Amino acid sequence: MSAVIEARGLTKSYGATRALDGVSFSVEAGRIVGLIGPNGAGKTTALKAILGLTSFSGELRVLGLDPRTQRDALMREVCFIADVAVLPRWLRVRQALDFVAGVHPYFDRAIAESFLKKTDIQMGSRVRELSKGMVTQLHLALVLAIDARLLVLDEPTLGLDLLYRRSFYDTLLNDYFDKERTILLTTHQVEEVENLFTDVIFINHGRVALSAAVEELGSRYQQVTIAAEQAARARELQPFYEREVFGRVAMYFEGRSPAELGAYGELRTPSIADLFVAKMQGTGRP
Amino acid sequence: MNTTLADTAGERPRSAAAPAAQKNLGETLITLVRREFWEHRALWLAPLAVVGLLVLCAAIGRIHIDLDDAGPVAGEAQRVAVLTIIQWVLAMPLYLVVMCVTAFYLLDCLYAERKDRSILFWKSLPVSDELTVSAKMLVALVVMPLAVFVLALAASLLFPVILGGRVLIGSLPPVFTWSTYEWARTEIVMLLVTLVAVLWYAPLAGYLLLVSAWARRAPILWATLPLVLSPVLEWVAFGTRHLADFINYRLNGIWWLLGVHNTHIITKHEVKPVGTALAVLNFRGALTSIDLWLGLAVTVALVYAAIRIRRYRDDT
Repeated sequence: MSAVIEARGLTKSYGATRALDGVSFSVEAGRIVGLIGPNGAGKTTALKAILGLTSFSGELRVLGLDPRTQRDALMREVCFIADVAVLPRWLRVRQALDFVAGVHPYFDRAIAESFLKKTDIQMGSRVRELSKGMVTQLHLALVLAIDARLLVLDEPTLGLDLLYRRSFYDTLLNDYFDKERTILLTTHQVEEVENLFTDVIFINHGRVALSAAVEELGSRYQQVTIAAEQAARARELQPFYEREVFGRVAMYFEGRSPAELGAYGELRTPSIADLFVAKMQGTGRP
Repeated sequence: MNTTLADTAGERPRSAAAPAAQKNLGETLITLVRREFWEHRALWLAPLAVVGLLVLCAAIGRIHIDLDDAGPVAGEAQRVAVLTIIQWVLAMPLYLVVMCVTAFYLLDCLYAERKDRSILFWKSLPVSDELTVSAKMLVALVVMPLAVFVLALAASLLFPVILGGRVLIGSLPPVFTWSTYEWARTEIVMLLVTLVAVLWYAPLAGYLLLVSAWARRAPILWATLPLVLSPVLEWVAFGTRHLADFINYRLNGIWWLLGVHNTHIITKHEVKPVGTALAVLNFRGALTSIDLWLGLAVTVALVYAAIRIRRYRDDT
């Protein structure tokens, strides 16, 4: 039982649609895991299952607990930000602190207050008077002050401008994350946060398309940029995806050695964003 | 609990191997109840507004006594009785307003958190659905009834002072006489009636709470339409009116179980102190009525259903 999250064969249907179709993965402690997939891929359903917010079939342990039956115990150790708009609009900042302090055994009010001091948020303001970015800051202040072991973030920066997004992730990395905490994050802005991840899980049509530590990606996946006239020959090595870039062809390979590919052109490890696009649109091998 | 985290235990304020600490129940409940009053400000604003209006009436209003003649209030005993009637009349609007805002509160409390999607925030905190929903019933069935009783009690102390002051400066005739004994007896009647009414109306509260947890939209319609339409349908289909009788009984039955019609506080010829109702009202009969206890059992079932819906509903 070393994993923070251990999922085996998670399945969940909404009517005829399979939101999760036998999803298996595991998340170790002290990792920052990106759960990445196109809209409707099942990311949010997977997060809901982890948080005990939805029913499902399959096996799932989060911090050794079953989210279906031990949700209340689980929520002492898990924090989540569902997305930016879920703080109630009538709530005052001070009341938010009072409430969490009143119900959460691991909430340290001083941490939240010192974080809020660095922002423009007033204690007496209501959530409805705050900008979207400030609401996220407030939610982040609450989460930073909770000594949780797993933090789940579902599109936490959706609709925020670049400055708020950047400072959100900087705070998360510098003030929150340590080797004992685990962060599971879904986002559409993959390019922006790809340096943050230690692990990625690609999910598509309710299935896991890829699950790997970021440091393994370099040895598993290669991107080669090839002159157009060489392309036909390189295709024999079965790239799982290719696209044209300025008259040249970028091809993506899995499990080929650099020596094999180096002859065709410029070799590099694909970025997570490129790999994601390649995996989602690639028709060839899974 | 696990091995990876066990070796880091001790660096943190708590050990990963130890069972997770818990807030004590009292503090959590108080926090949950406070939160209800932050969100639903009508719960305290409306009764306070009524008190304000009543104070205004007492300060500048005129009292018109419409008995056969002014004779009945001439005697000392009659003036004491008038004091208790003033107590009762003050309490009436307060209780009515509190019943209304509490009903709307119950209909809204579990619906609003889904409508504004804040339910995901509440659910991100370690508070069980059982506790969350129970706290709402606690507000409706304990906090609000106690609060309105105390508010009415405060008003019953304040008003004789205001009215007495006006009698002193001659702007009112001396229509009442203070009697601590009769005042206290009236408060006891009020407390007992409040208690019995809370127990009787508990299933109605549970019903409203359940509709609030269940309705996707327009909880007010979902709460009222079945009560209105089902008797009509029954009457059209079978020509009977059992449902109408039943609904009427659950809404008003407690008053005849208590025997309110036997009290005769105000008649054409005299006014009696409200405290005389203590000897007339059948509190024992009401509290031992099987219907009252069946209602409470149904309340538990309704609240349980609301908890289950909040726990397992997945439409956010």
